[in-house]
Amino acid sequence: MRGLRHRIRPEQVRESVIVLLTVVVAFLFSTQIDNYFSARFFNRVSTSVAIIAVVAVGQTLVFLTRNYDLSVGSIVGFTAYFVGQTLTHNNEIAPLVAVLLAIGLGAMMGAFNGVLVAYGRVPAVIVTLGTLALYRTILVEYSDAQTVLTALLPEWILDLPRANIVSFGDVDIRLMVGVALVVVILFQLVLKYLPYGRRLYAIGSNPDAAEIAGFPSQRIVFLAFVLCGALSGLAGFMFLARFGNITVVAGLGLELSSIAAVVVGGVSNQGGAGTATGALLGAILIDLIDNSLIRWPEISEFWRDALLGLLILLAVAADAVIMNRLRNLWTRSELQMEAEADVSIAQEQGSHV
Amino acid sequence: MTNAILEMRHVSKRFDMTQALDDVSLSLYPGEIHALVGENGAGKSTLIKIMTGVYRPDRGEMLLDGQPIQVHNSQEAQAFGIAAIYQEPMVYPDLNVAENIFISHADRGPFVRWGKLYRDAEAILSKLDVKLDVRMPARGLTLAAQQAVEIAKAISLDVRVLIMDEPTASLSAHEVSQLFRLVRSLRDQGVAILFIGHRLEEVLRIADRVTVLRDGRWISSTPRSEVTSEQVIRDMVGRAIDDFFAKSEAQRGELLMSVNGLAKHNIFSDISFDVYQGEVLGFAGLIGSRRTDVALALFGVEPADSGEITFEGQELEIRSPQQAAELGIAYVTEDRRSLGLIMPMSIAANISLPMLRKYLTRLGLIKQKEELAVAAEYQDRLSIRAPSVLVELEKLSGGNQQKVMLSKWLNVRPKLLILDEPTRGIDVGAKAEVHHMINDLAAEGLGIILISSDLPEVLAMSDRVVVMREGRHMGIFDQQEATQERIMAAAMGQAHAPAESRQ
Repeated sequence: MRGLRHRIRPEQVRESVIVLLTVVVAFLFSTQIDNYFSARFFNRVSTSVAIIAVVAVGQTLVFLTRNYDLSVGSIVGFTAYFVGQTLTHNNEIAPLVAVLLAIGLGAMMGAFNGVLVAYGRVPAVIVTLGTLALYRTILVEYSDAQTVLTALLPEWILDLPRANIVSFGDVDIRLMVGVALVVVILFQLVLKYLPYGRRLYAIGSNPDAAEIAGFPSQRIVFLAFVLCGALSGLAGFMFLARFGNITVVAGLGLELSSIAAVVVGGVSNQGGAGTATGALLGAILIDLIDNSLIRWPEISEFWRDALLGLLILLAVAADAVIMNRLRNLWTRSELQMEAEADVSIAQEQGSHV
Repeated sequence: MTNAILEMRHVSKRFDMTQALDDVSLSLYPGEIHALVGENGAGKSTLIKIMTGVYRPDRGEMLLDGQPIQVHNSQEAQAFGIAAIYQEPMVYPDLNVAENIFISHADRGPFVRWGKLYRDAEAILSKLDVKLDVRMPARGLTLAAQQAVEIAKAISLDVRVLIMDEPTASLSAHEVSQLFRLVRSLRDQGVAILFIGHRLEEVLRIADRVTVLRDGRWISSTPRSEVTSEQVIRDMVGRAIDDFFAKSEAQRGELLMSVNGLAKHNIFSDISFDVYQGEVLGFAGLIGSRRTDVALALFGVEPADSGEITFEGQELEIRSPQQAAELGIAYVTEDRRSLGLIMPMSIAANISLPMLRKYLTRLGLIKQKEELAVAAEYQDRLSIRAPSVLVELEKLSGGNQQKVMLSKWLNVRPKLLILDEPTRGIDVGAKAEVHHMINDLAAEGLGIILISSDLPEVLAMSDRVVVMREGRHMGIFDQQEATQERIMAAAMGQAHAPAESRQ
């Protein structure tokens, strides 16, 4: 039992459950929807997951510190529009510059959130609810209700969604999926092997202790928001590439799906626990359900959001009930300290008083 | 003698009305466990907060190896090799033991090398003779093991001065010996340790030198070999009583409440006492003595698990504050700001709050005229200094806020009034007024339970004094028997507390 507990941690149990759930969900839908396992559907879901996963990784960083970022949808929308608009007017801009522009723009918006939360000590819910509205309004004003049109974008960005890394018959592993995978793996490594990553866990695990621990906890929280913004910026670029036509409602609701992905993926809303891989698994599950429901005629469009909300609640409830027990079970009776006999001192004390 | 590592010279610190520290000097030597003792409010916490950079001293200086230093925050303190461990250890439950030890290190390279991390953690723990699985998350650790992790962390940071603020407060006897072994091994490695404790027996067991503070002033520093527990207690108390308002002789009436064997799991046990009409029953004890928890049980906020309560001859269980209030029990909290009063509301609104039902018209609206009249009556009776009863509470002084809180509960017309630290943080004049009022209320036949950490106050005001220590009843003293020394001895768990004298 001891050896087993060493090799498998509760988080891994949880992640296996999500993989299993994903398989079960896919199977259930395949019995309801004709031609469910098609290459076209795989490509569509994987591209859509790629965008949510990138945002969800950013959301994970913020979640680990016991914060939230509700403004990610607006950041995605704003960067998608702004970069699209810029490319429309300057077709000759190099692809790399366009990507960096999106990331930088997102990082700036994340930095604004981060300053207020980490240094201004305003609760993250308030700050990012404010910027959710603020960034969206700036977008509306800036766009003047114009739409970025696919036709005016440069060729290379229109080819991007269909760019493949490898293909297996009709099933493609697209470049955007590759980008998302790189992001997930990169941040998985950051969380595991960089002191910065470990301190994110520390802050969420015990904020009071982090305050006096001798490492810059404010800067670490600030940076988490900057990274979340930067990743949302990257997702904004991917959004632009995928859809081409960008309106002022681009990215609306991504805050809900990214939080759903993160929470379902086992990132604790109490901070301190969760991984980038978990966020990816969560993103796959919720987006698979979402996309399948679109194809399932029995269910009305409006139920999709309700289902997301329900999934969030279920995941949080499962965490509260099951995961905490599991974690305690894992550690109970494992950790004990050697006792000591203090007899000589006790006697000495006795002779004094 | 070797030179001191850390020296505090003539340190003073003042907060508003209280002189928390007044010209205190203290030296910490390598390889020595220096115990710091004193009553609640003697200035121990302020002193260690200055050492760790939480507060800046008004006057005086801090010297490290003979060089004056300025400490602005805990990071800087850590850089100077000064660290503190508190009653509640500061571990990260989701991180494993090894990570907890090294989380504050900045010099372990750009990547976390897990293998090396575990080996280093094991090396430090084995140096301390602690056997812990360094790969396990810290959430399952016992309190003593958490403190072992904190001590290991301190060692890994090359701490030279370790401040331990009541580290044993929530430990079992077994865990205390575990901790003490660690502390000694730390001392033997040349660390200077400042140990703050409330259990005298433990302090004398571990200390090499004992310093006593009282009212923010330095009283004595004595090597362990020359110290006796009687002397420490004498140094801790010894405050003048005469500037207090002494209670006039009570006309003790009928038995009001009788409590027998009251207990709450892991909080307090076997609490028994009687309160009579017209009597002031004092509750003395140090921080962590669980007096407030007993009060909360009597008021039904956190009901007790077992034990008998007889109120006005009727045996009953108190399950909720509503029930307690209907019986005629009122509890005036020690935490005025967060539990006692609603600061942005007016005096009148605060006073009428618990009895709001009495001020409603048939339509359920508040009868403002009556509400104001009652408030004005209390303002007059308790001389609450405010331009009108419509003034918001946050604009009043602490003493006047305290009187509003008292009015609020007097308006319930209680038979038993529980006062929890009623004079904390208010000035001398207001204090005397509160004492006056307690006296008047007792004379009117109310039974009063007075919880106070101010020893002379409890002695002067009470007919009898119950002493509690860590959730246990240490004895009841009547006015003749109760001396500061005896009560302090009982509160610190000294064995020679006189026998109970219950009637």
